Amino acid sequence: MRQRIWQLLSAILIVLLPVNLYIIFFYAPVERTMGIVQKVFYYHVASAWIGLLAFCVVFAASIAYLWKRSEGVNLLALASAEIGTVFISGTLLTGPLWAYPIWNTWWTWDPRLTTTLVLWFMYVAYMVLQSGGETEAKKRFAAIYGIVAFVNVPLVFFSARWWRSIHPILVSSEGVALDARMKVALFASLGVFSLLYIYLLPLRMKSLELKARVRQLKSEVLP
Amino acid sequence: MIPRFWNKVFLIYRKDLKDEIQTFGQLIGTLVFGVMLVFIFSYALQLVNLEVSRVFPAALWVSVYFSASLILQRAFSKEAEEGTLDALLLASGDRGILFLAKFFCSLSILLIFEIVVVPLMWAFMGVSGQNLQLGYFAMSLFLGSWGLAAIGTLLNGMTVQLPGSRLLFPLLLFPLLIPLLMGAILTSQGALLGEVQSVMGWFYLLLMFDLTFTVVPLLLFDYVLEG
Repeated sequence: MRQRIWQLLSAILIVLLPVNLYIIFFYAPVERTMGIVQKVFYYHVASAWIGLLAFCVVFAASIAYLWKRSEGVNLLALASAEIGTVFISGTLLTGPLWAYPIWNTWWTWDPRLTTTLVLWFMYVAYMVLQSGGETEAKKRFAAIYGIVAFVNVPLVFFSARWWRSIHPILVSSEGVALDARMKVALFASLGVFSLLYIYLLPLRMKSLELKARVRQLKSEVLP
Repeated sequence: MIPRFWNKVFLIYRKDLKDEIQTFGQLIGTLVFGVMLVFIFSYALQLVNLEVSRVFPAALWVSVYFSASLILQRAFSKEAEEGTLDALLLASGDRGILFLAKFFCSLSILLIFEIVVVPLMWAFMGVSGQNLQLGYFAMSLFLGSWGLAAIGTLLNGMTVQLPGSRLLFPLLLFPLLIPLLMGAILTSQGALLGEVQSVMGWFYLLLMFDLTFTVVPLLLFDYVLEG
């Protein structure tokens, strides 16, 4: 049953990923002042969204691990952290592509940029903590770190925001500041990326599980 | 119940501090490292003709951060090396006690370190203290060190139990300390320029950070020292 859902999901994604690209490039209008470079925005925002979502999953799974000590929850946290890192890296790479022509600089210390970078560092630290042979202690410490890092994120964001901000603000109390067709493209990207995350998460969990199993078998066979 | 709790915290704290002072070499080593760092910083910055006094708060806190990544690793590594952690756990009976004692000890050493290093840096960098608000400057140092010690104690409790802890510790530590770094630098600068009013918010941020990262580790510390 689970296999079925998964196959279905991959089929849907094979169709939707190109459709999403079509919407981005042909349906959504070209931005008047920024031009074609603005197209990167759809993947940029969607990646950032997955990065944050994955981080929340790490946090929740970390609490669950300390509570229940189940192997599955730890794998969920680790897989989510890995996928989150990939997407956050995507955000950090696509951002400068847009920023250089528009802001005339690759990088600035805007709250969102700073927070994203700190988030990336914390993700990497989390993975380093879990890497190299799995022991119960490592999983436990990673869970603690997952919780502490999550608590840290709002502090980073608000302190950096206090300092200064030039990043475009997309969502405010007045709604989403976008052209209607651009909105469609944005939400399509967000949806497709979320599906991608849901697809990748069990895939990675499964492979982590297999990796652990192989290691265990090796240690049993080889003295 | 409550007095006994703090009594135990104080006993372990006193033991650790005594130990630190008796094994003089370690402390001196750290102080020399700090002084060297300050020297390198001041020298490098004046070579490129930067107005050194303006970068003083930033250079100060970066030096403190790097030195802290050494100082804070001592809290538990001593116990781990000598295998006394279990005994200490048994004796204290509560992991919160151990956390608080180690935290206060790290904080004390950090403050001792700053008392030596900050005036030196001040002199090296030729900072004019005309508008200095000393009380606020001290508070900025204190609040910044508090947060450093709190997170450092939590992380050190974890990393000493893992291989490769020397590298792992700063890797885990620094990303968590970014808000603290901002608050510490900006409040120090404000106190230095005599413009404390404009950085009052950052003092509150430091307070909030310190409070959060004292309470959260206290709650989680049971899980750090398990089994």
